Amino acid sequence: MDEVAGELKQALPNVCDSIQVHVEVLQKSNSAAKKEDIRMSVLKLLNRHNIVFGDYKWTEFDDGFLNNNVQSVSIVDTDLKLKDRQPIDLSKGSLSLHIFQLNEEGPSSENLEEENEDIIAANHWVLPAAEFHGLWESLIYETEVKSHLLDYVTTTLLFSDKNVDSNLISWNRVVLLHGPPGTGKTSLCKALAQKLTIRLSYRYRYGQLIEINSHSLFSKWFSESGKLVTKMFQKIQELIDDKDALVFVLIDEVESLTAARSAFKAGTEPSDAIRVVNAVLTQIDQIKRYPNVVILTTSNITEKIDMAFVDRADIKQYIGPPSTAAIFRIYLSCLEELMKCQIIYPRQQLLTLRELEMIGFVENNVSRLSLVLKEISRRSEGLSGRVLRKLPFLAHALYIQSPSVTMPTFLQALSLAVDKQFEERSKLADCV
Amino acid sequence: MHTPSLTAGTRLLPTRHGACAAGNRGGRAFPYFHAAPRQRPFKSQLSADQQMASCGAAAALVSPATSPLLPEAPPGLKRSGRVMSRRSELMVACPVVSVVFPGAVTRESCCLFACELLKHVMYQRHQLPLPYEQLAYFWRRAAKDGDGMKKPPPMDPASKKCQQVLMELEGVFQHLEVMFRLTLVPRVLILLGGNVMRPKEFYELNLEGILEGSAEESLKTASCVRKLFHSLFVADVFSELKALPAMGTVVMLQGHRNCGVDWFRPKLNYKVPTQGRKLTVNLSCDGDINISALPAQNVTSDWEDYVWFQAPVTLKGFHE
Repeated sequence: MDEVAGELKQALPNVCDSIQVHVEVLQKSNSAAKKEDIRMSVLKLLNRHNIVFGDYKWTEFDDGFLNNNVQSVSIVDTDLKLKDRQPIDLSKGSLSLHIFQLNEEGPSSENLEEENEDIIAANHWVLPAAEFHGLWESLIYETEVKSHLLDYVTTTLLFSDKNVDSNLISWNRVVLLHGPPGTGKTSLCKALAQKLTIRLSYRYRYGQLIEINSHSLFSKWFSESGKLVTKMFQKIQELIDDKDALVFVLIDEVESLTAARSAFKAGTEPSDAIRVVNAVLTQIDQIKRYPNVVILTTSNITEKIDMAFVDRADIKQYIGPPSTAAIFRIYLSCLEELMKCQIIYPRQQLLTLRELEMIGFVENNVSRLSLVLKEISRRSEGLSGRVLRKLPFLAHALYIQSPSVTMPTFLQALSLAVDKQFEERSKLADCV
Repeated sequence: MHTPSLTAGTRLLPTRHGACAAGNRGGRAFPYFHAAPRQRPFKSQLSADQQMASCGAAAALVSPATSPLLPEAPPGLKRSGRVMSRRSELMVACPVVSVVFPGAVTRESCCLFACELLKHVMYQRHQLPLPYEQLAYFWRRAAKDGDGMKKPPPMDPASKKCQQVLMELEGVFQHLEVMFRLTLVPRVLILLGGNVMRPKEFYELNLEGILEGSAEESLKTASCVRKLFHSLFVADVFSELKALPAMGTVVMLQGHRNCGVDWFRPKLNYKVPTQGRKLTVNLSCDGDINISALPAQNVTSDWEDYVWFQAPVTLKGFHE
């Protein structure tokens, strides 16, 4: 294996060797081994495999110590920095090892009003959480959305570290993701929080993700809503006070909290709502002084958001429906999962879009199925990520209903499911 | 022995919402003062010694001066006035209760301290409607009654919750026993509400000062438990606290990295929270201790090998 890799290295002259390579090491939940011991063993492992092509994941090891203590060692996010899949020389690039364990308990809830126990104002996760493991990898965007977001937070931290005067250069730690429904904005926020907790584990012990239920911040009592917002942010403040924690505040559907104040002039909104907007804005200004907090927000209807809030967001990232290439990758990951679970049997090798491109889209025995999938992807354009992820399920439910199928049959069913999806959509449009 | 009268039971019954006779707002009467609680007709049929038997180790705590059956000495009266000033001080800073045992203690005793403290905290902080021993007793009794019938009675959600909590607690106790057998445990945490990093309130049992001895040269477990709970009672740490809603309780404890326990999950990054209401219970040993008892210096040298472990269950509190 090593010799082959070595030969390949000779054949491909531009081995990329000067990039930062991130290696995520997932320690088993029952392992109490020291981080340093694990680091040494993983470095030994990486030394033996010094050339990798893109992302790679080890789950089985020759080393008994690693077998006992480590779930997986993955080289991740090489595609964010490198356009093409190319060999990476691990011995030359700088390696950063991130060793982490997952927290298995689910979210805990935060109540605001003591006397009213039923209203849950926020869900609260300790990161890295088992629930969000693998979420980052499952989100596929064509442009550099992910690396953009990661770089943004890196810069934020750098500025905080160097004590850049925030009166001269201001940054707000607010990220706004907007776009049509079902494109994975909320998931991306959660995945980003998880990713950053792992990446920054050397300086923060753990992460906290607070997902605010915006509707619960509106009180039934007139003039109380603004106070509820303040109370919520007080709780967040308590979390931030722990310097060992990296705190992420996720406000989903932020337009409900920060509706444009101009609409109030029409008199259609109660004046209580305007106080909420004001309270949120002042609280955000309060929070931005702290280095260990990031506010993540999402919205479907950007034009409804107050301009003062939009101004405060450092990154306003549009998340659109996936392109054909992204759809292809989404389908590919779905099919891969179904083959792993042996619902599609026997296993078939599918080519990636790039591999298809390299052979010039010539149809042969190897590429036939992949070309069918590419055609399905092309026809699926316009569907959202949420719909795409459930299509394999619908295809099975509607057209297959047997415990195991072959790949060609499944692709046929998938194609029918896509057609049905568009049919349903046009019917809905007719009704309206 | 006489059967507790219903009037005494009513008077001593801790109330969750209102004030008790002596202005006991949120804290509960110690279970050991507890006569027969109301609303369960079959409880009043219990004779006192039955109850004591069901209370297991806790029964040993009842000292003659504070007999549960003396109606003229209700617990509430004892905690008025005199303690007030000190109590308010305690609430400002983190209250600390220190107990010094006059000799070495076995590891089994340490395990029992942790278990009893957990039971006590869960009852005092409104996560269990009755003291653990009583709940367990009534549950066993109900289960025995159910055997005779053709069909088990339909379970209402409350009794399902009760059964689950009891089973989980039972599990925690067993695993605590295993853990204490495997490793020295310097500290135990009982965390209520929120999450483990930021609980609403938490209780720390510090065993670092304990000198471990073998069964022959150590103090009797029962007397140590009595001393511990006496100190807790005198410090009066629970009565001023506001009633809590039902929430989750998590148990964490320190143990040796390589102790080989598999039920508890190691949390290498964990550190004791700095926020939230905290009560520390420091246990230590003093007096004429035979050097053959395990010297503590040996273990303190590699203190960093002691890491936090978390019980993989969250004990869900419930109200009746």
